[in-house]
Amino acid sequence: MADIVASWAQAGAVLTVQRWVVVIGGLLLASLAVLLLCLQFGATSVGMGTVATAIARLLRGDEAGSPSLATSEIIMVQIRFPRVLMGFLVGASLAAVGVTLQALLRNPLADPYVLGVSSGSALGVSVAILFGIGSTFMLLPVLPLFGFAGGLLALVLIYRLAQSKGRLPVHSLLLAGVILNAILTAFIMFITSIMEPNRSAGLMAWLMGSLTAPGYPALGVFLMYVVLVLGVLMHKAQSLNVLTLGEETARSLGIETEGVKKQLFVLTALLTGAIVSVSGMIGFVGMVVPHAVRLLIGSDHRLLLPASALVGGMFLSLADTIARTIMSPAEIPVGIVTALAGGPFFLYLLLWRKDRML
Amino acid sequence: MARRQQGILTGMPFMANVSARAYVDDAGRRIYFAKPPARIVSLAPSITEMLFAMEAGEQLVGVTDFCDYPPEALTKPKVGYSNPNLETLVALQPDLVVAPNDFLKPDIIVKLEQLKIPVFILADKNVEGIFVHIQTLGRIVGHSAKADTVAMQLRHQVAAIQQRVQGMAPVRMLYVLNSQPLITVGPGSFIDQLIGMAGGVNVAAKSVTPYPRLSMESVLQEDPEVLVFPVGKAEGISESEQQTWRQWTTMTAVKRSRLHQISADWLNRPGPRIAQGLESLAAILHPDNTPGSRTER
Repeated sequence: MADIVASWAQAGAVLTVQRWVVVIGGLLLASLAVLLLCLQFGATSVGMGTVATAIARLLRGDEAGSPSLATSEIIMVQIRFPRVLMGFLVGASLAAVGVTLQALLRNPLADPYVLGVSSGSALGVSVAILFGIGSTFMLLPVLPLFGFAGGLLALVLIYRLAQSKGRLPVHSLLLAGVILNAILTAFIMFITSIMEPNRSAGLMAWLMGSLTAPGYPALGVFLMYVVLVLGVLMHKAQSLNVLTLGEETARSLGIETEGVKKQLFVLTALLTGAIVSVSGMIGFVGMVVPHAVRLLIGSDHRLLLPASALVGGMFLSLADTIARTIMSPAEIPVGIVTALAGGPFFLYLLLWRKDRML
Repeated sequence: MARRQQGILTGMPFMANVSARAYVDDAGRRIYFAKPPARIVSLAPSITEMLFAMEAGEQLVGVTDFCDYPPEALTKPKVGYSNPNLETLVALQPDLVVAPNDFLKPDIIVKLEQLKIPVFILADKNVEGIFVHIQTLGRIVGHSAKADTVAMQLRHQVAAIQQRVQGMAPVRMLYVLNSQPLITVGPGSFIDQLIGMAGGVNVAAKSVTPYPRLSMESVLQEDPEVLVFPVGKAEGISESEQQTWRQWTTMTAVKRSRLHQISADWLNRPGPRIAQGLESLAAILHPDNTPGSRTER
């Protein structure tokens, strides 16, 4: 493992097609293996056979919920399968958004939560829970809609605050984000403090991040966001490379920085809103996975972006598998696992890399 | 006689220990009352209900924002809830604050102690503990006869319900404290004990915490025959959230359409109305064998 890691790191800054295919291909295979692994574990562990039959049934389009299905298959098809996929997609999105924001704001601490968009989403959901608004309306999931609306509102607000004379200076954006985040968090705290304890416990559980069985419609909608945003981000990867060199350099190289920044900013904020609305507040992945991957494969965004997404996906799928099995039949908030499992690994990577650099 | 000798040998502090007017609360602290407190602040709806039940309502000078029963409680000054306003509280000049162990911010208790306001802490772990709390509070506030009667009646009611459901086939049930994410009651909570008393089997029995976040997988595996949703003004599961449970069409409870509501105020508050909560829970679980008092829709 260490050898492979070292060879990646030494492969240098030049990105060849061959290297791209090897790295991304390898990560894709690893992702597939991780997904299959995660599908086997849960409150009820099942063998590979059940996983395969369930997937086959799913592909054939057997209606899940038909009485002919056994409970273990219902669990596979209706709960675990969408949940593992959602975990992967959320992790991938968090990491991709993290990579983009870190390049965009040229700030290593930037992650999807820094701009206050996630707090906006969280506040939207808190308000919905405070007023006892149910979780569905005409089969549409309502809590995510509130989360999304809150995120969008925060986005508009921060955009207005940071914008001056048609430009979007990085430092005002960061500052506005941090301040807005603090204000919105205060509102959330206020809401939890006036709630009945049972209800505030529910809200806190949601805020700590949860990937509870989302169901296929929500998964489909979320997938659309991911494909759309990641597609555009990949398309803009070269611009991201140039932006990290600094705005002056970027401008001198003919990149219209303001326009690109606005586009990317809105896209990442949209995806963040979608992420928070389906999974609550899962920290850590968006900030740390991009760093870890950058340490290993360098900072060319054409490779860094897809690689981070795949690693983020694997990381969150594994973390969620631990979260839902380690204290089975109870679950623990996945955010706790991401921090406890990912933190030490990241520190190790940092130290290992420092030794090699010296 | 031996007691008195010990008292003489060890001095007054030990006398407080054996005095009939010293009480130990659930935080293990010993509190001495020279006379029954005349100005009491309650920091939980369940405690307010206990004090009214033992006819000590007139001594209550402050309650929480959520104290709504009996209706007289609504007329009392409010002090907040999990994070009560200390200034309001102190301004009420209480000579006793009765506080729950769970949701109250711990620094409030420390602060009140610094201000030399006696705080008596109640922790709810099991049903018998609730009755003991009523009796202890009754002694402290000088209403022990009424409090003993209340506790005795509650014990009788609970025993009668237990006797009625005895020998009946236990019914697997899930109590949905919060729907998204799913939070329920586990061993170590008084509601879990009530489920057993009402002739039910809690499907979250294998959890290790009193209020676990349960995985949906294990719920489907344990296949509850009955789903119970608390409903009420301040807390509870909304109608539309209850409906989302109907998507689990293989669950026995959904197949038999046994989704029931119960007043959150009865079951979630560890106070004198848990007998009513138990009664209606028993009626839900064993509809054919429970006379009257059917409250669920």
